[in-house]
Amino acid sequence: MTAENTLERNIPESGRAASRARGIKRFKWTVLTPFLLLMAFILVPALFGQGFFSLFQFSIFSMGDESGWRSYWHASEWVGLELFIEVFRDERFGAAIIRSLLFATGSTLGCFIFGFGLALLMYRPFRGQGLYYIFFILPMLTVPIVIAYTGEMILYQNGPLNDILSRISGMEIKAQFLYKKEIALTTIMFLEIWNWTPFSFIIMMAGLAALPKEPQEAASILGASKWRIFWEIQLPLLRPVIMLALILRFLEAMAEFPKTWGLLQGGPGSATETVPVYIFITTWQYFDISYGAALSYVVLVMMVAIVLTGIYFLQREKKNLDAMYFAKPQESK
Amino acid sequence: MAMTLSQKRQTFSVVRYAILTVWLCIVAFPMFWMVGTSFKPDREWFSWPPVYITENPTLRNYAIVWANINEYTKADGAHIDPKTGELSQYTQSLQRPWTALRNSSIIAGLATTLAVFFGSILAYGVSRHQILSEGRMFQLLMLRMVPPIVLIAPISLWYRQIGLLDTITGLVILYFLTSLPYAVWMSKSFIDEVPREMEQAAEILGASRWRTIWEVVLPLVRSGLVATFLFILILTWSEYLLALLLSKADVLTLPVELSKYQGSTEGRVYGRQAALSVGITIPLVFVGLIIRKHLARGFSFGMVRR
Repeated sequence: MTAENTLERNIPESGRAASRARGIKRFKWTVLTPFLLLMAFILVPALFGQGFFSLFQFSIFSMGDESGWRSYWHASEWVGLELFIEVFRDERFGAAIIRSLLFATGSTLGCFIFGFGLALLMYRPFRGQGLYYIFFILPMLTVPIVIAYTGEMILYQNGPLNDILSRISGMEIKAQFLYKKEIALTTIMFLEIWNWTPFSFIIMMAGLAALPKEPQEAASILGASKWRIFWEIQLPLLRPVIMLALILRFLEAMAEFPKTWGLLQGGPGSATETVPVYIFITTWQYFDISYGAALSYVVLVMMVAIVLTGIYFLQREKKNLDAMYFAKPQESK
Repeated sequence: MAMTLSQKRQTFSVVRYAILTVWLCIVAFPMFWMVGTSFKPDREWFSWPPVYITENPTLRNYAIVWANINEYTKADGAHIDPKTGELSQYTQSLQRPWTALRNSSIIAGLATTLAVFFGSILAYGVSRHQILSEGRMFQLLMLRMVPPIVLIAPISLWYRQIGLLDTITGLVILYFLTSLPYAVWMSKSFIDEVPREMEQAAEILGASRWRTIWEVVLPLVRSGLVATFLFILILTWSEYLLALLLSKADVLTLPVELSKYQGSTEGRVYGRQAALSVGITIPLVFVGLIIRKHLARGFSFGMVRR
């Protein structure tokens, strides 16, 4: 492999290398073209439509009998940037963003703390490790909407959770976990944590298992305490995996929909109305497609920025990791 | 008093088992409750104090949900309308779970097959010829990470125009696109591990690139591709939002079917929901346990090294 590559690099104009490069290029576009066409076929009209509806106030109720594009055109009225201005003045939207951020941050941290804690307790072999592992990944294998409804069976006023709490505390507890404004979002957050702790758990388990043993052994021979080894050797080495667990979970939690919608439809009041739920309500309950489109555009830009930031950090970690593992940098082009 | 090393170890071991067992209960209880409720007769769904293990187990919930058997008597503990003395409506099943099961299987199966098929070829190109830079590979993740809710309204109008709304094809296309990033990354992690000597041998013997892919590379990573397939299957099987908004009546999937019980105005029918939930969950649990060793790889983008 290496010999061949050196050869190619030394004689770049050689016919063989050039034809090989052409072959790779042809292969690249054979593979990518269908994918790019499919993306263009779905995403371009979608983005165009979104743009149209956010600049033209469309009313589903004034749609005529005509079919096709013309019906949308005739039921729409140019409003320019008015809808976007409205979006930025919308207090309900602001509250939804705050709720989404709180929800995502809380559930991300919760998942991470529980998942990492369990992984630290479990990564060294012990009796029953395999069995615990199997049980601990189960929540991740459960369909979110199933978790939402099973959660309701357990959390409702006469449900088993209140009964268990009552028995433990000796008082009669009849908490309304889901239908009280103050705690509804927290309750959903705990469902999310229950659902996705396994995600952090498996990632941290794999990360801990993959740590090189030598630095830890060396440190412990030199007399470092367990704590010190954890803080100064294990934790820094785990940084990429930790970033991974936090960033992926945060992004997924920002988009969370089945639990918030399926269980409470944004209620009670608007206590669990996160950004996805608000867009959903605007578009599919109020049928305000234009305002929904403007909202979506703003959220799209916001989310793309957040996702790109997350991706930037992940990529940086990956690069550092690659640099660390391959002292000799690999062939890159 | 200082503890000896072995005492310390023992304490740690006890504490560890205690904590793990508490978490085990937290994990297992909802599962237990779901399965338990599915065997409970109607009157025990809401009783206070709650019934933990029913003394009158019944298969009626399963019969009603999955076999559409509607005969139901007062003796079975059915809800009786207090005014009329009749059986209330929601003891009947109006749903079509088998159709939903069929749709879910076809949609998730097709989309996943396509994603793994296409993703593994792309992954081969990235792994061997760097046809996408690492930056592009990470940007691919946007397809998955930008919430679909922001584009779903225009997509659904566009789908209506071109006749893809409420069709299997429509959902398969979107599931394919959203699961592609994971498919590429995960199959790449397997392909990266395969030594290149065999391919080079094939190339020297004059095999074309496609033939090398078909007959050398993909067979070598077959088990990895199966793991990738099952991993993506978990994601597509549980998808809810797209299925809810892009299907009306014809292509209901299982998660949407389940949510119809919640939407019913006649009150909660926990036993039926549980019976359906068990059916939705069992295949996933099987799939997940088969690939439990590879789960971390699916999410780790080559950042967990062995």
